[in-house]
Amino acid sequence: MKRRANWALVAAFAAASLCLASAAAAQVTLEVMNPRGEIPPPKTLGITPRGAELAGKKIVLIDNGKYGASNFLEVVADMLKQKYPSVTIVMYPKPSAQTITDLPKWYPTVKQQGDLFVFGVGD
Amino acid sequence: MAGVYLTTTEFLDDAKSAAKDRGMPGLRMVALPADKYYRARASHEELMPVANATFSTIVDDLVRPLTAEETKPEQAQKQLERANIKVTGKDFLDASEKVNELFLDNHWGDGLPIVPPTPALVKAMLAGTKRSPEEVLGQVPPKQGTATVEKIAINAVMAGAKPEYLPVILAAMDGFTDKHYDTTHFMASTGSFTPVVIVDGPIAQELNVNSGIGMLGHGWRANSTIGRAIRLSLLNLGQTWPAVNDMALTGRLESYTFYTFAEDTAKSPWEPYNVSQGFQAGDSTVTVASSGNPSIFGGGAVAPWTGQGVIDQIAARIQSGGVVWPHAETHIIVLHPDCAVDLASRGYTRKSLQEYLYDKTRVPYERLAGPTMFGSQNEVEFIKAEIADGRIRPDRAQVFLDALKPGGRVPVVQSPDDFHIVVAGGSPGYDLLFTYPGTNWAHQTKKVTGATLTKEGR
Repeated sequence: MKRRANWALVAAFAAASLCLASAAAAQVTLEVMNPRGEIPPPKTLGITPRGAELAGKKIVLIDNGKYGASNFLEVVADMLKQKYPSVTIVMYPKPSAQTITDLPKWYPTVKQQGDLFVFGVGD
Repeated sequence: MAGVYLTTTEFLDDAKSAAKDRGMPGLRMVALPADKYYRARASHEELMPVANATFSTIVDDLVRPLTAEETKPEQAQKQLERANIKVTGKDFLDASEKVNELFLDNHWGDGLPIVPPTPALVKAMLAGTKRSPEEVLGQVPPKQGTATVEKIAINAVMAGAKPEYLPVILAAMDGFTDKHYDTTHFMASTGSFTPVVIVDGPIAQELNVNSGIGMLGHGWRANSTIGRAIRLSLLNLGQTWPAVNDMALTGRLESYTFYTFAEDTAKSPWEPYNVSQGFQAGDSTVTVASSGNPSIFGGGAVAPWTGQGVIDQIAARIQSGGVVWPHAETHIIVLHPDCAVDLASRGYTRKSLQEYLYDKTRVPYERLAGPTMFGSQNEVEFIKAEIADGRIRPDRAQVFLDALKPGGRVPVVQSPDDFHIVVAGGSPGYDLLFTYPGTNWAHQTKKVTGATLTKEGR
């Protein structure tokens, strides 16, 4: 009885192994290529250091031309003048609302307008 | 110069991504709450709570000392995208499904099933061109991924294109990677702009690119898969994704295939469009151009129409548009053959039609006195600034200056050539106006070359 049970176990084990082998044999591996473009890394820059306070500074508020930006910056300008009476506000709107890279002559002129900038509202 | 960039919460990820792409990951940004800002931006009073909530953060960003990371950020490393990927499934169907899941999870697909780009299929695709797989066409925004012939071929396989379509797909990508094409704007803008892809010359017929009834629809493998290959190439090479750095608010109406069709040169009464662009008769070309959603004109099969009536309706639509960006507007007018023949019978050539449209679409000076739709600057000052900045060509500047006075009529385009007239469509048919009020660098025509499997485009 015990011998028959052993043979039954061996037979069951062999059958199970055959099934696994068949399943493994049926597996399909697809090798596919990467569709993405490699990105040459840009030179990474730090940002400009800040002064410790706003007092006496000239702050350039740049309206990027999107609807509502001029209103928001005017509100910010009023708040700056109230809270920091010694600051000077310069409103310096971007010439157009279009592609940011399309104004190579204009961006260098921003630096000449003051000490700090607030640019917005990007969307 | 120290400063802070204002954006809204819905665009913060996009802004950070763009700053990193341009090498300034530390740019300080303040995000205004989108759900409050967009509803309040019409008035100072309504904006006060938004400004109150963010004012201290804005000031803090202007004065707070820099961290070590902000002073000297880690240099960006090259992002390699070379290794092949192995995916195993219990059978081919399962493996293919897993490839599709992987690609979509990685934002490498468009949501429709793709053909897995195995090395064997890509090699077969590359057999369609003499151009070297390593050839670099250029960089694709927004992330400036490098477009090589091989990478485009991978995307063409995914799209289900045939190898003989590859030279046309490459010509389109030559257009999008041209330094005079502002691909960034249509790829990223909230305006949901969609490119037009026009195949011209004898290769269009050889590849069976539809130019007749249903040309913007489905059913033609060439139209569908050429357009999709271009779309997937831009998506994957530019590494763009909706609401991350592709901010098309509604999504593009033809997002999967773009507006891809052929000119019907056989039925056109005029020279092929590409000949009008300076190519030789017999050349095969691809024109790519950015566009808003098209407008439809004419009577089709249901209402009477005349060619003159169609052109006058198109002119009225352009002239009544709310935006005047004369340095920028580009119009592509697709006339169905019967309309073109009717106009030709009235004596119009392509050139005289362009001049007619140029004249008819001029905007009265008095209409430009108000503010632009975007900001506080009025249209007149805006146009003068464009002239001073060289964004209106110097040879056209005087035309605009002469018109910027009471009684003047200001052109909406820099020259009549900015009206592009193409003949396509069925009989009966409608006529289409594709308009792009973006930058003036949104149109390129490139020759199809290097073809190995077709007679044309070699």
